[in-house]
Amino acid sequence: MTIHRVIRNVQRFEGWFGGGAVLCLVAGLYLGLIGSPPDYYQGEVVRIMYIHVPLAHTSLLGYTVLAVGSLWYLWKRDPIVDNMCQAVAALSAVFTALALGTGMIWGKPTWDTWWTWDARLTSFTVLLLILIGYLMLRTFVDDPEKEARYGAILAIVGFVDLPIIHFSVEWWRTLHQPQSISMRGVSISSGLLMPLLFMSIGMSLLFSYMLMVRTQLLYLDRLLHAKKGRLLSQFHLSKSDS
Amino acid sequence: MTSFNVIRWILWKDFVTELRSRETISSMVFFALIVILIFSFSFSMDQQAAREVIAGIMWVAFAFTGIIGLGKSFSTELQNDCLEALQMVPEAKGAIYLGKVAANFAFMFVVEILLFPMFVILFNLEVVEEISLLLLVFFLATVGLSAIGTLFSALTVQIRAREVMLPILLLPLVVPVMIAAVEATKGALNGDPLAMYEQWLELLVIYDVVFTVVSFWMFEFVMDS
Repeated sequence: MTIHRVIRNVQRFEGWFGGGAVLCLVAGLYLGLIGSPPDYYQGEVVRIMYIHVPLAHTSLLGYTVLAVGSLWYLWKRDPIVDNMCQAVAALSAVFTALALGTGMIWGKPTWDTWWTWDARLTSFTVLLLILIGYLMLRTFVDDPEKEARYGAILAIVGFVDLPIIHFSVEWWRTLHQPQSISMRGVSISSGLLMPLLFMSIGMSLLFSYMLMVRTQLLYLDRLLHAKKGRLLSQFHLSKSDS
Repeated sequence: MTSFNVIRWILWKDFVTELRSRETISSMVFFALIVILIFSFSFSMDQQAAREVIAGIMWVAFAFTGIIGLGKSFSTELQNDCLEALQMVPEAKGAIYLGKVAANFAFMFVVEILLFPMFVILFNLEVVEEISLLLLVFFLATVGLSAIGTLFSALTVQIRAREVMLPILLLPLVVPVMIAAVEATKGALNGDPLAMYEQWLELLVIYDVVFTVVSFWMFEFVMDS
């Protein structure tokens, strides 16, 4: 059995992504923690933004990849696409949870509360719930083909739902109380922009690298199971022959 | 048999089953009454407080009872391998979906109509002026719940722990319906001018259209075997 063409390419290029992620993250962290000035209003606290915002962006990017991959799976029914979907869903869930976590840590000194039912917080929470639901759904299906298909359906429906959830939550909040804080009014100066840019690219590269490794792992796991099944059946056949 | 006939027969079959067994609607109504009871224990309310939270309580009760009905919609098809028979229907699978949506909508809507007077009596609500608008809100929100709920009822019926997975998958996805329904119901109950909650009705219409189309399309993939 030969290794899938996609996996061989992934194996060839993953090192570049991993190395690029390390370089960008180191540069971004240096610029963010040491090289950039503290914020006029928030002081040193603002530095958590360099982690929080890239995490949030990357998790949304991950969900987009999941939706595209799911559509692709329903179209072509290629199991390797499903391996990628499973990998990206787990990673997006982790990144979403980390984005929420860092957001809470940031919220405590700036908004003076760990949690507020702000529009963006709420829609990210719903996103996390959908991703956890997706991962749970996959563990409850026995047949691998069905698992992939059902997961893809949920991912696509959820992707269509996300903008509607976001708008409904935003209306709901703005009708009740003014948003606690708005980033829109604050224009980001170039001193803050550079580390943010590096961290965003670095985080996306890190995400891609982890995705490549995890997809490989899931693919090889599936290959192993198939091979084990084949060997076992050969073993039984040879025993019944003799 | 045309697709339209498939829709009609599915609907007819579900109605006859319900008329003979009386399982779904009676269990939904009974469950909703218990939910109302639990809520009235949990919050001690005067009339003023009741007006504030009643819309929320109402839609929590409706959503939970709706999930009971939706779960039964396809789990009854597991008996005697009826699900396989449905999968063998030569017409487009979307027809089965539309038939099931219509049946689920009808059950949920009937239950909501039966329960609403209970809310009025038990929580001492004032007599409602905007009853037609309230019915419109119920209608739009129930279409949304049944459109997406039917898809996930068909999806979860063939997996392990389906009673748990249906609400876990469904409730995050119906967040917009719940918000819009609660806000619009609140507006209609308070007799606010329509302009104040019109946008929630628009949101419900958009949700209904989008998720009827998406679920109709995705249902093909749930059913193919």
